[in-house]
Amino acid sequence: MIKYIIKRILNYIVMLFIAISMTYFLASAFMNPRSNYMQRHPHPPIASINRSLDNANINDQTPVIIRYFRWLKGIFTQWNWGLAPDQSPVGPAIASRAAASAQLVTLATILGIVIGVAIGVYTAIRQYQWQDRVLNSLATFFMVIPAAVMGLFIVLIAIQINNAVGTRIFFVTGLHSYQGSNSWLWFVDFLQHLTLPTISMTIPGIVSYHLTQRTYLLDTINADYVRTARAKGLTLNQAIRRHALRTSLIPTAQSVAFSIASVFTGAVITESIFAVHGLGSYFVTTLNNNDINGSVAVAAFSGVCTLVGALLADLFSAWLDPRIQLD
Amino acid sequence: MTSEKKLSSSASPENEFPSVPSASSKGNQPAQTKVKVAEKKAAQAQKTGLSSMANKADASLKRTGRMKLYVRRYFRRPSAVVGLVLLVILIFFAIFGHFFTHWKYTDLDFSALSAPPSADHYFGTTAGGSDLYAMVCRGLGRSLSIGIISSIGTTIIAAVIGTAIAYFRGWFEKVGMWLLDMLLVIPSFLLIAMMVRSTSGASGWLWLTFGLTVFGWIGYARVLRTLTMSLRELDYVKAAKFMGVGSFTIIVRHLIPNLGSVLIINTVLGVVSAVGSETSLSFLGLGIKAPDTSLGTLLNDGQGVILTAPWELIFPSIVLILLTFSMQLIGDGMRDAIDPYSRSGGKAE
Repeated sequence: MIKYIIKRILNYIVMLFIAISMTYFLASAFMNPRSNYMQRHPHPPIASINRSLDNANINDQTPVIIRYFRWLKGIFTQWNWGLAPDQSPVGPAIASRAAASAQLVTLATILGIVIGVAIGVYTAIRQYQWQDRVLNSLATFFMVIPAAVMGLFIVLIAIQINNAVGTRIFFVTGLHSYQGSNSWLWFVDFLQHLTLPTISMTIPGIVSYHLTQRTYLLDTINADYVRTARAKGLTLNQAIRRHALRTSLIPTAQSVAFSIASVFTGAVITESIFAVHGLGSYFVTTLNNNDINGSVAVAAFSGVCTLVGALLADLFSAWLDPRIQLD
Repeated sequence: MTSEKKLSSSASPENEFPSVPSASSKGNQPAQTKVKVAEKKAAQAQKTGLSSMANKADASLKRTGRMKLYVRRYFRRPSAVVGLVLLVILIFFAIFGHFFTHWKYTDLDFSALSAPPSADHYFGTTAGGSDLYAMVCRGLGRSLSIGIISSIGTTIIAAVIGTAIAYFRGWFEKVGMWLLDMLLVIPSFLLIAMMVRSTSGASGWLWLTFGLTVFGWIGYARVLRTLTMSLRELDYVKAAKFMGVGSFTIIVRHLIPNLGSVLIINTVLGVVSAVGSETSLSFLGLGIKAPDTSLGTLLNDGQGVILTAPWELIFPSIVLILLTFSMQLIGDGMRDAIDPYSRSGGKAE
């Protein structure tokens, strides 16, 4: 077991290293930090531009391979992920943004999983009955709505509600605005901010877990062992709960494992609409500032999250499914 | 040589479904019909009085072609028909919509800034004075072409690579799968954004299409490889291999046609996700940029004036939802039409 996990982790580290290196070269090829300075009128002296670019190790006049090894050396010797073009370090910025993302995304992830799986089971048991048909058409409708449209319409509706009631129930920007020290008021304020982004992220989560869980359960509900269980005298609900549901939860558990890790990478669109300064909006900022080191660091962080999710998924399914042996 | 040709020609059209066990018996059908016809002729010769009956039987033996069957099954589903009609209307709107107004999407009307919808500006205008109707026409065309081109490209790349990885087995499969997993480590959204952001102007949308295609096929190739794992064990694939047919020929002629139904459905549904990615990138200001426009760019413009000019948000959103919804309905309808195990209802006529 331990041996298997160690082998997996080593494999993942090699993958991660190559993937991040590729991202570094891609970012260096497509981003031009020099243009940040050249766009100004009049632009600063070339010598001073070069000095600041050199200092951040993003000068396009240095061959990219040399910059790459300098960058690697910084990471391996000092855990230094480099500087942004404005000379601020990248590492600490990511840490604080990831915390904000986690505040934003955690609740939506949990709600999406719980409600989605519940609806999936509910509709699978009632396949082709009217409840199933109604919920399925709703799910299809919500599934195709792009995230941006969904977020903006929720904002529009919330503003209408605020205007109708006359007070500000929902806040549409940020995560906190309360300045005092009363923890109850702080919590209420946090909820007022969190409600709208949570709704806009929970709906897609519910839809995808609903549809996949329904399919998985329908696959197992007609299996022989469920029929055997019924033949032994279990009611349909008992047979489903004890036999079919357990097997059908394995693939769902895998996607849950992946989503746990993605909590920290945040949701780019939602953060952009609701002006939350999480990792997603940080990534957009790095791109707009031609911040090579920053964007590669974000990509590396999400790569780590993906692989942690993959490892969790392996362990989850081994734990749930006795047929899988981790050796 | 002749036997190989026969084998392959009978294999590729007859066994379109990977999971249909009766595929081989289907292949016998023309032969059976021939036998029957011969019998009938003999009967005709013996008893001329029965000739009218034989003709009747001949007429009832007429087979329903596969395409005809698919079309019939597709149009049996009301939602699929609705989806198709919607898509046709949208395509018509994207191509010919600009003939119905004298404004171009680049024109600025300084006498009507942020004007609500009116007889002159059907969908209203933006804060800069652009006619929203013309912009939505243009944006819809852009989003549609990006979605369709990149979805087709993704499917082709994924089909060739996914089947090749499964077909060659051994170390090729191991290395290939490892590479695919490695490419999936970094979320492709980030890579596309990195690549597309720096482009601008008239060729920006081509870069966006390119980026969506280049990074979009990876997960899909993994799925296709899993499906090919059962196909590569089929007898006629082995037979072709032992006859010395080239690997590439086997992949293109035997393996990929077997995945045909899956590929077609996923191409249609892929348009939904490609349009979604395009919209997200443009919405963040990383995709299509002015002077060109797309539905995502329009949403981004509408975001800032959500209170003062809600039409700027509502019209692009409606068009976008109609587009993705119609593609989804079409994809679902095609899946039910092509899938031999579909239980979506409907009776044989």
